[in-house]
Amino acid sequence: MLRNPFEDWGFALWRVLLVAGIGALVGLFVGHLWWGIAGALAIELARQLANLNDFLDWLRHRNQRDPPDAGGRWGDAVSLVSRLHRRKQFHKQRILRLFRELRRSTASMPDGVVALNADREILWFNRKAAELLGLRRKTDFGINLASLLRVPEFARYLEKGEFSSSLRIKPRIGEPTCLEFQGAPYGEGQLFLLVRDVTRQAQLETMRKDFVANASHELRSPLTVIAGYLETLSLGEELPEDLRGPIQEMRRQSERMTAIVSDLLELSRLEASDEQVVGQPIDVAALLAVLRKDLVARDAGKHEVSVSIEAPDGLMGDTGLIHSAFWNLADNAAKYTPAGGKITLRWWVDELGGHFAVTDTGPGISPEHLPRLTERFYRVDPGRARDTGGSGLGLAIVRHVLQRHGAELKIESEEGRGSAFACHFPRTRLVREPIAMTGDSGYSPTNDK
Amino acid sequence: MDTAELSQHISRRFNEDLERVRSQVLNMGGFVEQQLAKAVSALVEGDSTLGETVARDDFEVNRMEVSIDEECSRILATRAPAASDLRLIVAILKAITDLERMGDECEKIGYIASRLATQERPVNKYREIKHLGRVVQNMVHDSLDAFARMDAEAALRVARQDRLVDEEYEAIQRQSITFMMEDPRNIRRALDVMWVVRAIERIGDHAKNICEYVIFMVHGKDIRHVRLEDVEAELAQRGTKN
Repeated sequence: MLRNPFEDWGFALWRVLLVAGIGALVGLFVGHLWWGIAGALAIELARQLANLNDFLDWLRHRNQRDPPDAGGRWGDAVSLVSRLHRRKQFHKQRILRLFRELRRSTASMPDGVVALNADREILWFNRKAAELLGLRRKTDFGINLASLLRVPEFARYLEKGEFSSSLRIKPRIGEPTCLEFQGAPYGEGQLFLLVRDVTRQAQLETMRKDFVANASHELRSPLTVIAGYLETLSLGEELPEDLRGPIQEMRRQSERMTAIVSDLLELSRLEASDEQVVGQPIDVAALLAVLRKDLVARDAGKHEVSVSIEAPDGLMGDTGLIHSAFWNLADNAAKYTPAGGKITLRWWVDELGGHFAVTDTGPGISPEHLPRLTERFYRVDPGRARDTGGSGLGLAIVRHVLQRHGAELKIESEEGRGSAFACHFPRTRLVREPIAMTGDSGYSPTNDK
Repeated sequence: MDTAELSQHISRRFNEDLERVRSQVLNMGGFVEQQLAKAVSALVEGDSTLGETVARDDFEVNRMEVSIDEECSRILATRAPAASDLRLIVAILKAITDLERMGDECEKIGYIASRLATQERPVNKYREIKHLGRVVQNMVHDSLDAFARMDAEAALRVARQDRLVDEEYEAIQRQSITFMMEDPRNIRRALDVMWVVRAIERIGDHAKNICEYVIFMVHGKDIRHVRLEDVEAELAQRGTKN
């Protein structure tokens, strides 16, 4: 801005003196010196006040009005203020543009986003989140999100404050809509919540599970018929000698198929729910004794089976499921260990919880197979599978049973030395007192296949 | 009273207390909603385990009621709230009683569902109960939404739906009477079904009560035992005045 050299402080002072001088001259002329000076100063003061009034008026309505055309110090003030105002407007526009850009980009996001403060109240959400969660832009800021999305699991997820895993819920029971939430904490306790509509995926998964369950159920009846006739045939006296071998083989294979189908059914039952099993106390020592007896009976003493019980504690769990899991592990060891090998069933307790392990002296498993071992129908050696007669689902069943008991399966193996399959149960699953066995409170050793 | 007003409180702690107890109420409401949905689906699907689960889990609702009740007494004793805060506490105290009763009705439905699951299901597969259940579930959901948002208009809308539920209840009652007259062997089941329908209808009434508390909370006006049309007219009048 160009500065008028006369319009500085000194000039203003001189101006007042000039006005006073003119007043004095006029006063002398009419014979009242002091009245003249006072009158001139009063006029000057009135002019300044009028300028101040204009200035304030303009400040108040500076967006609609042009700046007043005042000279002197007032002009300085006006131009200074309007410069500040312009600069502020510029910054405001820039931030506003940035904000709009941000809002538009988040609105186009395919996933819902909700920002929550430390008290889990809604700070902000995008359009998709509003659509998925039924939030309203006008009223819902500052409301606790768990108050609007009142599914108990969701409140628990927010409360837990640990967001390494996502949460899948159906916000309205009885409706198929399924949402997946993933929290991401930021700042001082705030939370970014990503919401995705996974209805389609959930439906596909249910369809797949239903299909497996239905297919295995439907396969069972024809298989029973085939197996029944084969049995009658193989027992028949009049069977020609050259058919005896094929019929025996057919019988063996139909038995194997029955085993696969019933394992599939069991697996789909296990998969139907993720809920933790409560169950009842199980006497592990007695269970292992039964397992050992069954194992020895089944493979006709080909292996040396020993049981080692190192703790009196029992286990809280579903008797049938735990029996099935432990039997699958023991049975696997027997299948893959050559005759004369040693199999050890061991139960022990330490500060981490209870542990059950099956150790064998079999050929071992090379490390690249270990991570995939619990997949369905995964075979380390596809050629060998046929003669052992397994369904290929045993370890998948074990894994699911353990999952529903909050336990973990760990496999250690060294090629040529043998393998160890260990189940690690959390401390909460242990029963301190040894359980008094009453009647049939145990497992039925007959339910193995 | 809206949330902005709530947050203007001098005492931050007090405000936090109020907010906490309010979200506890809605937590409890969420649980009751789930119980209701489970109970109805246990009956319609003939799932006896689910019915038993619902009946067993009712203790959770009672526990929540007691804990919120204590919290409210504590706030009343130590903070001596006034005006809108007092209205909030009073409304909460009343709402949890209604929620607890809803829980009891769900327990009842759960019991009956687990008993009926062993019997043969009727031809229409309890379609009318499913429908009534859906209407009441929506009512409960919307009334709790209105409570969370302090939305008196939504509350009034929900309260008006109660009439629909009553009509539906009448219709099912007539239908059941026909069943019973057709074949006396149906009587036992029809009576059980009537119990369930009655319970669902009662839950609708409790949802309506909650809506009334919301209006009481927002406008400080007691609308119990007043015709809804009058309430509407008065609220509209207030709206134009403001």
